[in-house]
Amino acid sequence: MKRHSLIALLLALSAFALLGGCKDAPSGGSNNSAGGKKMTIALLPKSKGNQYFATVEKGARAAATELGADLLYDGPTNTDPAKQNEIVEGWVNYGVTVIAAACENKEGISAALKAAQDKGIKVVTYDSDTTTDARSFFVNQATAEGIGNTLMDEAARLTGEEGDFAIITATLTASNMNEWRKHIEARLKEKYPKMKLVDTKPCDDQKDKAQQEATNLLSAYPNLKCLMAICSPAVPGAAEAVKQAGKAGAVKVLGLGLPSENKAYVKDGVTQSVILWKVEDLGYLTIKAAAAVAAGSLKAGAAEFDAGKIGKMEIQGDNVLLGKPFIFNKENIDGFDF
Amino acid sequence: MGKYFRELSVAAALVLLLVVLAGIAPAFFELQPLLSRLTAQTPALIVAVGMTLVIICRQIDISVGSQFGVCAVVAGLLAAAGLPLSVVLLASMAAGAAMGALNGWLVAGLGLPSIVVTLATMVTWQEALRLFQQGKFINLPAGVQWFGLAQQRGQLTLIATAVVLLTCAAWAMKNLAAGRHVYAVGTDAEAARLAGINPRGITLGVFILLGALAGLAATLNIVQSPQVDPKAGGGLELKAIAAAVVGGVAVNGGRGNLWGVFVGLLLLATINPALTYLHVEAYWEKAIQGLVILLAVVADGIRSRKGGAK
Amino acid sequence: MSQPAPFFKTLLARPEAVLLFVLVAELVFFSAVGRNFNTADNFANIVRHSAEIGLLALVMMPIILTGGIDLSVGSLLGLCAVLFGVFTHEWHIATPLAAALTLVVGAAAGGLNGGLITGLRLPPLIVTLGTFSLFRGLAEAITKGTMTYKDFSPAFLALGHERALGLPYQGWLFIAIAVAISVLVHRTTFGRSFQAIGFSPEGARYAGLPVQRRIATTYVLAGFVAALAALVFTARLRQARADAGSGYELQAITAVVLGGTSIFGGVGTVGGTVLGVACVAVLTTGLKLIPAIALQGIGSELGSLLTGALLIFALAGGVLAKSLAARRARRQSLAKPQPQPIT
Repeated sequence: MKRHSLIALLLALSAFALLGGCKDAPSGGSNNSAGGKKMTIALLPKSKGNQYFATVEKGARAAATELGADLLYDGPTNTDPAKQNEIVEGWVNYGVTVIAAACENKEGISAALKAAQDKGIKVVTYDSDTTTDARSFFVNQATAEGIGNTLMDEAARLTGEEGDFAIITATLTASNMNEWRKHIEARLKEKYPKMKLVDTKPCDDQKDKAQQEATNLLSAYPNLKCLMAICSPAVPGAAEAVKQAGKAGAVKVLGLGLPSENKAYVKDGVTQSVILWKVEDLGYLTIKAAAAVAAGSLKAGAAEFDAGKIGKMEIQGDNVLLGKPFIFNKENIDGFDF
Repeated sequence: MGKYFRELSVAAALVLLLVVLAGIAPAFFELQPLLSRLTAQTPALIVAVGMTLVIICRQIDISVGSQFGVCAVVAGLLAAAGLPLSVVLLASMAAGAAMGALNGWLVAGLGLPSIVVTLATMVTWQEALRLFQQGKFINLPAGVQWFGLAQQRGQLTLIATAVVLLTCAAWAMKNLAAGRHVYAVGTDAEAARLAGINPRGITLGVFILLGALAGLAATLNIVQSPQVDPKAGGGLELKAIAAAVVGGVAVNGGRGNLWGVFVGLLLLATINPALTYLHVEAYWEKAIQGLVILLAVVADGIRSRKGGAK
Repeated sequence: MSQPAPFFKTLLARPEAVLLFVLVAELVFFSAVGRNFNTADNFANIVRHSAEIGLLALVMMPIILTGGIDLSVGSLLGLCAVLFGVFTHEWHIATPLAAALTLVVGAAAGGLNGGLITGLRLPPLIVTLGTFSLFRGLAEAITKGTMTYKDFSPAFLALGHERALGLPYQGWLFIAIAVAISVLVHRTTFGRSFQAIGFSPEGARYAGLPVQRRIATTYVLAGFVAALAALVFTARLRQARADAGSGYELQAITAVVLGGTSIFGGVGTVGGTVLGVACVAVLTTGLKLIPAIALQGIGSELGSLLTGALLIFALAGGVLAKSLAARRARRQSLAKPQPQPIT
């Protein structure tokens, strides 16, 4: 028994030694593809199995087909904060030409992206940025500051700039949402002294949990004037709670979400504003820009980028602008189907 | 007192919490939010009933949250296709029972450990569902929500369904041969076999039942709002197991009472809203929940050690 | 039964041998179809990405061997990472001392598990389910969920990124802990008692073993190594946050059980656990390097699905092999009548 287990251990360790002692591939292999004809673009979402990024992927695939490039799409399927880094490090080894990343965690991933750049892989970011030295361009649909300010300004507009409001977020540790919360609170302090943020609740990215949290908030804070949902499942969740409490219109609902998930509530006047951008266009533009950076046709200092079927996009500094966040409301929501 | 010490002490903790809330935040007892909260717990209660039987049988099922998610999407797609709710319910329960049967077959038929089997099936269903649905919500037609009833009647119907089911299950566990057989298998499968009980059949049965109940719970969940979230069910397994444990069900089988589980679930489900009403910051929630679970088992442990020393 | 069986037959009946075969098959397959699989960088990736889960699996193994389980190791990793951040950034303690302090806290937290389990004879599943919530909850409460500690000293970050002799530092750490645990479990009287306890706690007690104290030791060890894993994790991600290690407990249990350790206790080897960790790590990394799979965008999901399938097949295969052996034994004993125990 003893000897067998020792043999097994030795075998196991020698297997590892075998792995470690393997031959070096010539310079990480990124030149495997750079020399080839076909470009490989890797697209990293913040999480998989999420309709927002599934829509981004749709736009991205359209662009990749147009360009005749290979598109890799992979991302975290659970809450492990190390997963994005692991996927990027895997891609570096795979030998992709360019990586387009939506960063769940600004600083957390920057080192992995810088390591990719050191291997000659181009990096652009989209949706949410990393540190500026870890990528060439940020395909900017909205900065964290822009999102925070838009949400806060819209909440102020809906409530007449006074009263209590509460935030529903995905999880307390989601760093991009924490970034938005920071800007929301800064804007609040700066511009709206008569408004008060009474509570912030996590909903574990689940609609039902968001609905329960909202139900509790509505009765625990009877002066609540507005619910701000900053993750997409929380917007319909909060709206359903307001509807069931019979407070439609009296308590405003706004948030970051998809038109398709909120259409009914917006039309019924439960949800006032859903803020988002053209998600499919974001995926399309990201891939176009990533390919242009890799091919060298999009360089620092450019003032404009021709993104084919969605038109010419303005560039400010190192940000390719998709355009301002869009506010969906009763009047315009029927025109969108994602 | 002696026999029901655990159930009563959990009930006492719950009453204490409710009294505190009545004093500090009477808004907690407003009818509409109270009804909403209770309604929202009905799926968890139904799953906890099934989980309790599995644990009494000395097994465990951590795949139930994934099963719930699959059933919710099955039910949602069929309801969105316009099928009547009775068909939706049957299909959802059948899907759940089939997944439960797979677990049961691997555990009872092949003799594999349930915690490992259900760990594997949990991952399998979850990833398969993610690939299939990509997180997309399903919009339901009008008339599905609250079975087409008025909101309050719908909520009362759901609560009544869950309580009736709990009562029947509690009665059956005590008075029907099949119920007592579950305890017998959980206490000592070999002795049960010698006594003429079929332990494999019972084990397979409780897994199928839990699956079917997950299907029922999923259907009762989708009628609470006009949309189905495919991520519903995440963490449900831990909630059900925690409710059973706090309610006094022994994880090594053979002991447990469904009314205790009911009280355990109510206590755990009260903590979260209580924090909101008492204006406690949300980041304390998990720590407090863990503390409650530990206190419940520690109290039980101290008491049983004292009892043993006598 | 007492007749020595041919070497290769006993080898094939062992789960380690099957796993080794699976591992070699994986390596050959991925080398053939994977892109840049057979490179030093890729193996460094595999080692770096699985070191923390591997460390947790190594200490989960003795616990499961005694018939216990620890669901709290992932949460404890998160708590220790956050505490390390507090020690270095808020209390301004020097990194080595802060690391040592973190290890002490980890061992103490493991001691809490062990104390409750053995002192009050509570089921490990329940106690660690409670601390699973408690440890993660404390990590969130300390950081209010939002605080992230970054800017650790470069010397410390090297632990997560540098290599020595071609193997990443955390790979050496993993080997050192693997050898230490293997010697402890298989070579010392102290550690061999884990197996005896898992095989029959009553028997072990009658044999004069201090069963409860030995069991408590395994949890303290788990806490200590979970803290070590927290340091490795922090160095690799260059930051400490309350959600570090989410879900790692289940992945560690998967590796241990895949490695042939019985979840009921009493059977298992450290070598098997190492192989279990390696099989999962190579599988999930290799799949993503197959162009056809990467292009479909299903690498992560497929990795989880196949790990689940591998787990079921490994277990079912073991049961099947056992029942075939039993059947053969019965046939032989029918040919040469012997008294049969009633089963």
